[in-house]
Amino acid sequence: MTNRYVYGIMNDDPVEFETDAVGGADRVYTVSHRRLNAVVSDIDTTDPEETDEDAQRHDDVLREIMDRDGGRAIVPMQFGMAFENDRALKNVLRGARPAFRRALNDIEGRVELGLKVVREEDAEVDDDAIEEAVAETLEPIAAQSVPNDLFSDRLVLNRSYLVDRDERERFDDAVAELEAEYDEDLMFRYTGPFAPYSFVDVKIGSQQ
Amino acid sequence: MAASSGRRPDSSSLAEVLDRILDKGVVIDVWARISVVGIELLTIEARVVVASVDTFLHYAEEIAKIEQATAEGDLEDLEELEVEQRPESSPKSASE
Repeated sequence: MTNRYVYGIMNDDPVEFETDAVGGADRVYTVSHRRLNAVVSDIDTTDPEETDEDAQRHDDVLREIMDRDGGRAIVPMQFGMAFENDRALKNVLRGARPAFRRALNDIEGRVELGLKVVREEDAEVDDDAIEEAVAETLEPIAAQSVPNDLFSDRLVLNRSYLVDRDERERFDDAVAELEAEYDEDLMFRYTGPFAPYSFVDVKIGSQQ
Repeated sequence: MAASSGRRPDSSSLAEVLDRILDKGVVIDVWARISVVGIELLTIEARVVVASVDTFLHYAEEIAKIEQATAEGDLEDLEELEVEQRPESSPKSASE
């Protein structure tokens, strides 16, 4: 297995641990270039197949890193970012270094949380008023937020929030408050914490 | 249910993980992943967090450069983007 599957990029100390990794490997470690560490495992393809199991493993590895040392920052990769070899990987670490550094800076000490607000089947609600109430309650606590798809007409709100670890308790309480207030008409689906997937919009391409 | 007990988010939903992992996060073009020789990297960042006025001015500067470089191009989509070719030739950012 000479190819490298990459989970994310961090700038803290290198890590190495045994776990069920993507594509059947059993060890996760780091490939480094000037204090930027890519968290990787060995794999035998540069085009890994998307399976639920491997997607879960990718996410589990990121969580493991995020839980270390009281909370590390890691810039998460989309699923499937496998490299030919260490040289190709280090070339990208070198070439996109400023982008990785800025992304790490943005997410340092923060986690992503998700909130979907769903209208109960028979309830009649004012979507705009609810959106406003949620924003007034949660936006002052969150560092940043982005909207997600409203894929159902019962979905009143669907957002991802980037929240400081230190503000987590306040954010949890605020969600509980909203939930209690709208108990009869709305369901709150509160999820995470996730690696900050929605807050690292970086694309790296090439010119031949 | 006790008041102000807070609320723990649910971390076990595979659907929520898939929503993110297949759609978001850093994307690296296959050519940049398989070859080294003759590759020139092109990095595009849509900045979701603008931290300070300094940072903003830095982006404004970058955007001005893009406008010069693509005088005929469609700039609508570039308003919040920063494009770097050969990062070592662009100005050092505040975080470096």
